[in-house]
Amino acid sequence: MALNPAVTTTVATDAAAPRAVRARRWVFLLFLIVAAIVWIIPMVWMFSLSLTPNEVLQRSTTNILPVEPTLDNFASVFQVGLTPRWLLNSVIVTGVTTIVTVLLSAMAGYAFARIPFRGKRIAFPLVLAGLMVPREAMFVPLFLMFAEWDMHNTYQALALPRIAAPLGVFIMTAFMAAIPREIEEAAVVDGAGRWRIFWRIMLPMSVPALTALAIFTFVLTWNDYLWPLVSATDREMFTITTGLASLQGNFAQATELGSLMARGVIASLPLLILFLIFQRQLIRGISIGSGGK
Amino acid sequence: MAAQASAPGGTSGASWRARTRDTASGWLFLAPFLLIYLVFLLYPVLQAVIMGFFEVDLLVIDDREWIGIDHYVRMFWGTQMTWGLTQLWVWRLLGLLLIPLLWYWRRQGSISRNFFIVSTIGILVFFVGILGIHPGQGGRWYDSQFWLSFGNTVLFVILSTPLIVGVGLAIAIALNRPGRLAGVLRTLFFAPYVLSVAVLTLIWAFLLNPQLGLIGPGFEALGLEPINWLNSTTWAMPAIVVTTLWWTVGFNVVLFLAGLQDIEPSMYEAASLDGAGPWAKFRFITVPGLQRTLLLVIVLQVIASFQIFGQVFIMTRGGPNGATRVAIQHIYESAFRDFELGYASAMSVFLFVVMIAIAAAQFRFLQPAES
Repeated sequence: MALNPAVTTTVATDAAAPRAVRARRWVFLLFLIVAAIVWIIPMVWMFSLSLTPNEVLQRSTTNILPVEPTLDNFASVFQVGLTPRWLLNSVIVTGVTTIVTVLLSAMAGYAFARIPFRGKRIAFPLVLAGLMVPREAMFVPLFLMFAEWDMHNTYQALALPRIAAPLGVFIMTAFMAAIPREIEEAAVVDGAGRWRIFWRIMLPMSVPALTALAIFTFVLTWNDYLWPLVSATDREMFTITTGLASLQGNFAQATELGSLMARGVIASLPLLILFLIFQRQLIRGISIGSGGK
Repeated sequence: MAAQASAPGGTSGASWRARTRDTASGWLFLAPFLLIYLVFLLYPVLQAVIMGFFEVDLLVIDDREWIGIDHYVRMFWGTQMTWGLTQLWVWRLLGLLLIPLLWYWRRQGSISRNFFIVSTIGILVFFVGILGIHPGQGGRWYDSQFWLSFGNTVLFVILSTPLIVGVGLAIAIALNRPGRLAGVLRTLFFAPYVLSVAVLTLIWAFLLNPQLGLIGPGFEALGLEPINWLNSTTWAMPAIVVTTLWWTVGFNVVLFLAGLQDIEPSMYEAASLDGAGPWAKFRFITVPGLQRTLLLVIVLQVIASFQIFGQVFIMTRGGPNGATRVAIQHIYESAFRDFELGYASAMSVFLFVVMIAIAAAQFRFLQPAES
């Protein structure tokens, strides 16, 4: 050490730095915590309003925590209006879309990742090209198609365009291509066919990607707005998202604010619960889906 | 195919049979997805292009009349058209600023000479030439609402992209540390992303309300007049931008965090030993390390912003006075309020082409710029 003065100075500054750095880090962290709390206030406010009686809300709506908390607003959701029906529609459409998307994407992903079939070099770019199509810009021709088949206001019409999204195939192809071939080859030696290998080996091995894709699809389908707005025009066939949107503005705003917010909470709860349980998978899905990681 | 089959020459028919079997099973595995994909995703694009040349009434959709490029004329043209130097001059001047940027990249050697010349000419033609075309005295656009809503969409993209990307990056850098606390904070920032647009508008329409919301009282406490955000032609669009920031920034945070994970921590340590400050570390380690992610986030953000619809449609219906009317709303209302499906298709095609062009330009321009 003594032989090399440069080293001692480095060590000295290094020892002095942490205190200043640590202090700055704490201020920074505190700032971040405050920011995160401010970030979540609008959501907390919605919960608070949903638990407050409508009469109290006539006087004041600016409490972050509920005054005279009650569950009346939630009870009214299931007594008045179509909200339960909309919830059911959303559950059916989202559930079917998610399962079918995951299954079909996994099958297509398996074909692209593992089967050396003729025409693959045409089929794969063809599917990838779909990533460029902005769904929201193509609702007019899609509407016409379903109108010609007289299929609007059906669950099929709500689900099919969502299933057509190629992102899942892209995710599953990338994931399955990374699974070591040895595992599969052992099964081939045992005489297992493609279909069996897919179900018995590839699907179980792909559970992380399948869950990520499922959660991602679920969130996007549940929250879909433009297509259900265009296709499902019967009030009975609204999803919870379009239904809730239709109530805003119609409602005698301030007088029914609590009930309205309770509907908002009910519309969000499935996703918030799912998000808290599967946060890691959802976040993984986002980074796989958009970065190919 | 025949050549391929006979190519192996010496190999037996067994491998040929195996390949045929593979081809059959490959297409079988692909078929269910491919069918739905072709019918419900690719075919509609083709259909939109075709419908753009027809007059299609929503009430009698089978009765179509070929009208050529009339829809496009209606979108892009008007009466008494002239060209003026001062028309939209702020935007055109801003557009011309791309040329010094290109010049800088050319000097850096990140784009070729030919590419520089071609894009400079393109920028000049578009910003000086095309954007100067407008209806003269006594004239008007055939569809001024189209320009209004498309302009608002572009405005939204320009306002929201730097903000949502920048705030996302800042939060991600702050959260990029080990430990439970960072995880909890990330959850809080991300949570709004899982809300549907209808819940978002439910919360924010009331939050922004000067009497009922949470922001009005704050203004009053400071002795200021509360602003009726969504009813003000000045403030409605910024309010929509902030609402969207709150809703979607978590998505960008997640992407940036994934990108930050790939930067070696040892690089920061080495930089600290060299006496680099936080800014220098950001500029010389974080930004180059995040290059790919940054490009991805910007492209995704721009594409998503071009498709803005729900928040505006539910919260303001495009008002006040058209200040927040956006492209998708114009397409939606042309189709389902005015029953003009053909015209709506033509506008969809235009939106599609613009989005693809911008995404392609971003990949071309942003990628070499930083490498």
